[in-house]
Amino acid sequence: MSRLIDIGLEQLASVVFRMGELAHKTVSLSLNGYIEGTNYYEEVHNLSDMLITMADEAEDKAFELIARFQPVASDLRILKSYMKITYDFARYGRYALDIAQIYSRLGGLKECEDWIKQSIRHMSEKVLSMVRTSVDSLKSHDTNLAEILSETEKQVDSMYFEYLDRLVEKAPATNRCTISSVLVVRYLERIADHATYIGESIIYLATGEKIILR
Amino acid sequence: MFSPYKFEIESLNAWFGSKHVLKNINMKIKEKAVTAVIGPSGCGKTTFIRCLNRMHEIVPGAKVSGRVLFNGMDIYNEDVDPVQIRRKMGMVFQKPNPFPMMSIYDNAAAGLKLNGIRDKEKLDSVVERSLKLAILWDEVKDDLNKSGASLSGGQQQRLCIARALAVEPEVMLMDEPCSALDPIATAKIETLIRMLAEDYTVVIVTHNMQQAARVSDFTAFLYLGELIEFGSTKEIFENPRSELTEKYITGEFG
Repeated sequence: MSRLIDIGLEQLASVVFRMGELAHKTVSLSLNGYIEGTNYYEEVHNLSDMLITMADEAEDKAFELIARFQPVASDLRILKSYMKITYDFARYGRYALDIAQIYSRLGGLKECEDWIKQSIRHMSEKVLSMVRTSVDSLKSHDTNLAEILSETEKQVDSMYFEYLDRLVEKAPATNRCTISSVLVVRYLERIADHATYIGESIIYLATGEKIILR
Repeated sequence: MFSPYKFEIESLNAWFGSKHVLKNINMKIKEKAVTAVIGPSGCGKTTFIRCLNRMHEIVPGAKVSGRVLFNGMDIYNEDVDPVQIRRKMGMVFQKPNPFPMMSIYDNAAAGLKLNGIRDKEKLDSVVERSLKLAILWDEVKDDLNKSGASLSGGQQQRLCIARALAVEPEVMLMDEPCSALDPIATAKIETLIRMLAEDYTVVIVTHNMQQAARVSDFTAFLYLGELIEFGSTKEIFENPRSELTEKYITGEFG
């Protein structure tokens, strides 16, 4: 016999999983626009707003389940983790919007040197793969996948600082490129941080262990 | 040597006739803390606390083996007088059981009178102190001569707690003390339990898991007479080690 709380937990999981897919789509669209030179600001704005609405919806559901069932043990850990993860998904959306906004105001990589284009493309691929991994590990509660995020985040961090070092040594031809690319790598680095937070929440949810992946 | 434990229970077994109801329990109960004992009906919770003050052996055919160290001394040693042990441990039961023919005052003073104390001043001061400790004084101070049975269920239960506290026990054993009470009366008793833990060691049996989560510092989960898991309440209710505990507290069985 399934428990009454299970119905609510399934509804909540459904919102959180849909958010994960939507967050991936939002980051992917925004990065694609920035790198390929297409303005997706309106689309990304709408997606980001949807993520915020869904995070509120998930929080309301979680609070309702707490009030109704006073959950404990794995039920309680699921609620705590899902609330944190929905916030992280909403942050994915917010940084994706920031990147789309930068493209809209300052333009993308058109004026930038090749090494900059390559660096940002490479870093974007890494970060997008982290977003994918965070969504997949959530669906399967796969702690091994979650731990992989730690390693990739370290690589993204190195890429971020290497990029800043290179910029200092070798300034790009235009200020527009400098400002636009610096802000974008910063947002990428923050998205990677949120991916590892999600990894930490998944490990806590599955095992009860509170570990720090960063 | 100083020990932070009021009870150290070693290989405790208990039987009713041939029925083995507690199986090799090992557990240390901390002083001035609340320890909750949870588990499904018939798991041995009540028998467990009745072994702590030698009440189990009162039942015909009941038997105990193992050691229960209370303040470092085995209460099951041959030379220990069970009546002396019970005096140090107040007990509160599921159904409030004030002496119905006695006044509120006499209920609170009953233990002292049984011990031969007749000094009116002494009795007055202990009655007041005990009723205050049980957070009942303000509600009954003008009606001390009324019958204990005239009080509400929650007040009766607090009167029973006052009666137990009057003889200055070291431990309060509570066997489902709120199961016959409404939520308001339950909340008062739970507040009282937390206050008592500042000076007394409290062991509470409850089938209400949320109550265990609210009031206790440590929780023991018993199942079919075995101690499945014992640890801090936070740990048990957030991240239990045993799958059986997880299933019981999340309501998958029980």
